[in-house]
Amino acid sequence: MANAAGAAPGGHRNGFWGALSLPGVAWLLALFVVPFYAIAAVAFGQVDPILRTAAPVWGPWSWNFSAMSKVISRVFGGDLAGVVVRTLSYVGVSLALCCLIGYPVAYYVARHASRWRGVLLAALVLPFWISYLMRMLAWVNLLQVDGYFNRLLGWLHVGGSRNWLDGNWPTVVIGLVYGYIPFFILPLYAALERLDKRLIEAGRDLGASPRRVFQRVTLPLSVPGLMSASVITVLPMFGDYYTNTFLSSGSPKTEMMGNQIERYLRGTSQPQTGASLVLILSAMLLVLMTYYLVVTVRAQRAVAT
Amino acid sequence: MDTRFTRRQVFGGSARLGLALACGVPLLQACGSSGSSSKKQTVSIKDGVKPEAGPLRILNYDSYVGPDIISAFEAKYGIKVEITTFTTDDEAITKLASGAVDVDLHHSAGTSTLYKLIDAGLIQPLNKSYLTNIGNVSSSLRDPYYDKGAVYTVPYTVFGTGIGFRADKVDPKSVSWETLWNPTYKGVTSILDDVREGLAMAMMRKGLTDVNTTHPAVIKQAGADLGQLTNLMNIKVEIEGYHTIPEGATTVAHTWSGDMLTAVGYLPEGTGDEVLGYWQPDPAVINNDVMCVLTKAKNPVLAHLYVNFLLDKTNAQTNFKYVGYQPAIEGLGAQELIAAGLVPAHLSSCVMSNDQIAKGYRYLQLTPDVDALWNDAWSKFRAGG
Amino acid sequence: MRRNRPGRHPFGLATITWLYILWSLVPVLVAMRISFNSGKSRSAFQSLSWRWYFTDPAKSVLHDDTLVQPLKNSLKLAALSMLITTPIGVTMAIGLQRWRGRLSKASNALMLFPLVTPEIVMGVALFLVFTQVYTGVPRGFTTQLLGHITFSISYVVIIVRGRLAAIGPQYEEAARDLGANRLQAMRLVLLPLLGPAIFASVMVVFAGSIDDFVISSFLSTGASSETVPMKIYAGGRATATPALNALATIMLVFTLVAVGLAALVMRRMRARQGGGEDAQLGSLAAVG
Repeated sequence: MANAAGAAPGGHRNGFWGALSLPGVAWLLALFVVPFYAIAAVAFGQVDPILRTAAPVWGPWSWNFSAMSKVISRVFGGDLAGVVVRTLSYVGVSLALCCLIGYPVAYYVARHASRWRGVLLAALVLPFWISYLMRMLAWVNLLQVDGYFNRLLGWLHVGGSRNWLDGNWPTVVIGLVYGYIPFFILPLYAALERLDKRLIEAGRDLGASPRRVFQRVTLPLSVPGLMSASVITVLPMFGDYYTNTFLSSGSPKTEMMGNQIERYLRGTSQPQTGASLVLILSAMLLVLMTYYLVVTVRAQRAVAT
Repeated sequence: MDTRFTRRQVFGGSARLGLALACGVPLLQACGSSGSSSKKQTVSIKDGVKPEAGPLRILNYDSYVGPDIISAFEAKYGIKVEITTFTTDDEAITKLASGAVDVDLHHSAGTSTLYKLIDAGLIQPLNKSYLTNIGNVSSSLRDPYYDKGAVYTVPYTVFGTGIGFRADKVDPKSVSWETLWNPTYKGVTSILDDVREGLAMAMMRKGLTDVNTTHPAVIKQAGADLGQLTNLMNIKVEIEGYHTIPEGATTVAHTWSGDMLTAVGYLPEGTGDEVLGYWQPDPAVINNDVMCVLTKAKNPVLAHLYVNFLLDKTNAQTNFKYVGYQPAIEGLGAQELIAAGLVPAHLSSCVMSNDQIAKGYRYLQLTPDVDALWNDAWSKFRAGG
Repeated sequence: MRRNRPGRHPFGLATITWLYILWSLVPVLVAMRISFNSGKSRSAFQSLSWRWYFTDPAKSVLHDDTLVQPLKNSLKLAALSMLITTPIGVTMAIGLQRWRGRLSKASNALMLFPLVTPEIVMGVALFLVFTQVYTGVPRGFTTQLLGHITFSISYVVIIVRGRLAAIGPQYEEAARDLGANRLQAMRLVLLPLLGPAIFASVMVVFAGSIDDFVISSFLSTGASSETVPMKIYAGGRATATPALNALATIMLVFTLVAVGLAALVMRRMRARQGGGEDAQLGSLAAVG
């Protein structure tokens, strides 16, 4: 039944359904689209001469691209290049760790955990519902100079007086992984759970070892799931600034793009720079965002028909 | 989660969004704004108005006013006080200007950027008839250079900039700006999160004393010198020295003089205040924070009464016991505070003598171009090089 | 020759999984335990007490206004968000499910974008729009509420649409055949059928709003509009007592109760009407 989605009973009533959608659409136009446009109006606008706060210019015909071109030159080869490269590498390493930890976990829960499955699933979902900031606070408590982690090291006689929160990239990466890995595991779990078991059994029947079945059948089949899990994990990481600030005492050593954006927009007199950085970040991520939307929708479509 | 969608539709959809946006432009243009430069006139409140019902909303640094003072004021006028905190002077101005904070009183504005608040009409002239204690203001700051005639502001505290350190881990005699570059203290060192303080410190280390320099090369070099700290020292950039030093997380911190007296209150039980030390160059940079009432204040009378409350000598002294920053009150100078036993002897350098105040370097207002140079150098440092 | 060979249990994988789960939960449990510390330290545990919840006369969550205020703000924001978001989201879901045509597709795209937009981008956008365009809107709580509703609408639409797809049009058509008009059919037939999904999305909006940091922070105007995550962010790095952990723990309890209710309802819905477990899980995941 191709029409399972509940198509409109009768085309001439289309206007009614449009009207039902209207409040939501209007809301999003006013508070999602217009605000996004405001970023451009600030980035390409003027600055108040006294306060150096934003003086946006709304008409694209009188936009001024000098702030943006300055930021672009700083990003490519200038002093912001370091921040961008750092952001990319932190996100890259975090994603790699998410794969290394998350794939086995998702795979195990999806394919092997039989008796404990309910418990495991609940445990995988639980972190979603614990406030992100509380989870970061937990790490601050653990990693303080006199915290439990250092005490553990002291007890093992391998140090124990280090300050882990002073701009230490592994701390930040662990924070990012800890914060976002639930976003990775759940979609991947759902994808692995949906895999056609007959293909795997066929592989086994043809005499392949479990390892080979995994390499030749399971892994290739899970690539789409892996991709969308990765994208949905990476998107918020790119814009993250609080994990970093929380876990590294405002050290320049771990400064990420999100930190720069936050500082320029809220802490300094250069709003155009901040807004330009947001546009650059959005441009970088647009490909990923679009990819995720398209792939998700396509997958659902395949399920529905 | 069922949505009918294809790639073409997504792109098609976005294109239409773009079109819708473009159509919205003229409409938005009408809302367009401001940006003119002339100084905006503001007027002070009338005499003899009754205090509002509150709550009095104050903008301040964290831990920069005594809780006893706040509760005493709340009790006296039967209102509530709400404190919103900020960490850098620039941040406070940006937030006030954009309306991102809505308060009645700016408790601790910086003097070098005060002109922005005045010129933009963000603060109102004070009505002195509410400030019955105004005569208590320290004589040197009754007609200050940053606010001629003391029209808009009342000074809050006076302080110098130097280095707070753990006297049990660093030889007090060896401390200088160079200590911040000493890798022995890698990972346990911090500098102030403030563009002027940070860069000026790097300049003073090199023996330069023009803390208002307009020289691009000097500013750039100072930024580059700070840049060394990133990897050499794992430097932290924060204003938390007043608690991280007593707690032990920081050993050497670029701080304000009052911070090491504040720090006494944060020492863990069983640790004496002899572990704290403070050094500053002579002459040092001297600063004072000022209180001012916002033009948009909803409780301007209460704000005036609060300022007056803090100008009371007894209240100022009570507040000093908590914040450790000396008040700009005549008769509560370094000598008097030390004589009253309010300052541990080895931390007497944390209060500024009249002489130190008189000859101290001051941060002055910079022209927008020079301001941009300073900010660029600082941003470069903050970006981690 | 039954082919379902159980094979060796993959102990390696099992170990990794359980270790991961330990790692994901233990730090939080430690942080919760600290909230019951009788001492002032957030690292050295002395003995169990309710000091930071009730008994400390000045610094416990109950007695410290600077902690009570954010708690009130967070709960108020979450409650109002769900009250306002739900009707908008439900009608939008029904409309989008049946509306056909180009505008409908564009609206679809519009609805999906907030889901994948990094919070900082949305935060900055809302911050700028309220400081530069909609300057008449009172800043602080009101703008935070508008922001929360904006990022919550899509969640409701996604969850409710999932349910709509499973229900199909036949019940309503039957009602129409029996003489109900379109509105009656919706009110008497469709809405009751959607009940569990609506309830679930209400809970999801509540929890999402309570957890939000970036949007709240960008749209805050100071102490009077501080929320719990903002308080944790500000206090976690400065001089906080275990009362901060207590505050976080209280918030966690609120969220888990909300989610627990949502999970129960979803389970009942599944039991009664069938429907993919993955879809439910997916909608939960989409929100987290």
